[in-house]
Amino acid sequence: MNILNQTGKYFALLLRVFSRPERHSLYIRQTFNEIENLGVKSVGIVIVISIFMGGIMTLQVAYNMVNPLLPITLIGLGNRDSLILEFSSTIMALIMAGKIGSNITSEIGSMKVTEQIDSLEIMGVNSASYLILPKIIAVVLMFPLLYILSVFFGIIGGLIVGPAVGAISAADYISGIQYAFTPYYVTFSIIKSLVFGFLIASISAFFGYTVEGGAFDVGTASTRAVVNTNIMILVWDLILTQLLL
Amino acid sequence: MIEIKNIYKSFEQKDVLKNISKVFNKGETNLIIGRSGSGKTVLLKSIVGLHEVDQGQILYDTRDFTSMSQKLRKKLRQEMGMVFQGGALFDSLTVEENVRFPLDMFSELSPLEKQKQVDFCLERVNIENSNTMYPSEISGGMKKRVAIARAIVLNPKYLFCDEPNSGLDPETSMVIDALIHSITVDLQITTIINTHDMNSVMEIGDNILFISEGEMCWEGNRTEILHSDNQKLQEFVFANKQYQKIRDDKINQ
Repeated sequence: MNILNQTGKYFALLLRVFSRPERHSLYIRQTFNEIENLGVKSVGIVIVISIFMGGIMTLQVAYNMVNPLLPITLIGLGNRDSLILEFSSTIMALIMAGKIGSNITSEIGSMKVTEQIDSLEIMGVNSASYLILPKIIAVVLMFPLLYILSVFFGIIGGLIVGPAVGAISAADYISGIQYAFTPYYVTFSIIKSLVFGFLIASISAFFGYTVEGGAFDVGTASTRAVVNTNIMILVWDLILTQLLL
Repeated sequence: MIEIKNIYKSFEQKDVLKNISKVFNKGETNLIIGRSGSGKTVLLKSIVGLHEVDQGQILYDTRDFTSMSQKLRKKLRQEMGMVFQGGALFDSLTVEENVRFPLDMFSELSPLEKQKQVDFCLERVNIENSNTMYPSEISGGMKKRVAIARAIVLNPKYLFCDEPNSGLDPETSMVIDALIHSITVDLQITTIINTHDMNSVMEIGDNILFISEGEMCWEGNRTEILHSDNQKLQEFVFANKQYQKIRDDKINQ
């Protein structure tokens, strides 16, 4: 019953979020702030994680390529497809749910417990829309870009680590990443990243907006937001993979 | 003028407000007083619509707020200003941006006119040279004054203050009280203050409503409060030894 209740409240909040803004210019300004805060400031961590992810993937594929009949170029191909299909979209989304999601929940939750949201309501501002809509737009816009960045740096990671440890030559790796490329995989993962971006921003905002109490409750809400977002990402990953691949 | 008629409010079977009626006059500082947990914050939040009442009417100059559509309520709220207990300033905005926020959201003024209005309001609450500071960089008293400046920047008809003196020293409390009182009189607005600070009651209590356990117990003004024979009010007012002394001195005279 509690799950149904929470789901109902989530959709009721979304209805308020997607209502007509009071002043478009303020919302646009707020959206650009959120793009910088939630998107641009995540670029560094995405690059670092992706380089390591690509490097480790390359090593693991190389160590498992024990059959001499398999061409060595498959290491590059394996790394590329893993990154494109799952790692740079789903795994990155799970990590970003921790970074961006907890940021959103704690920011909105703190505003709730310090009556800043009540203050917006008293002014006649639709607080749900003003606080949440720019975050959703920003994250949904930035996620596909972060995904592309992640794929690129993941492949670079493999290119650095593979030849450095002697697992594969740079030429073989580059040949592998160019082999049997399916552009639809990228389209599929961009669709996934759009959905994941929406889930991260909206679920985290919901937990922040509905928090009651004090600082302790904001912390608890952040944890619940990350856990629930992660579960929903995996559920939607399964659904989209079944539907689109 | 704000009139509340037969207000009832409960939370999960617990009656918090029971049959409260009162007229809050324009140009006067109307006080809601009572012990912590007596229901005064719930009453104030019900009046401004942050809580929905179970029964009763709330009239803003004869406009029935309780039966109003959300669209009309939003419009009416632009005539309200509220000062919250902790100030509720937006952390990410500077002092000046906080005060300008309602203007950016709702007014059609030019940037220059907005700046003039912001400067006027900050001057009105005696804030100088702090325009670019963030709420975390200013004192509690300053936060309250900035909150008052933000509340009056759209020239509201109704001002609500929830415990404006909580956490402030007596001297700053008096400054805040005097400020709210002068704004109320100068701008001829209807002000409702929620407080349990007896100094505020004696300084600016033009029209006082005393509630206890969610019920309306007494109403009057600051001169009548000391002479009331209402038992619950006596216990509340004379809990402070200073006021006990004033009462005893009066009796001895």
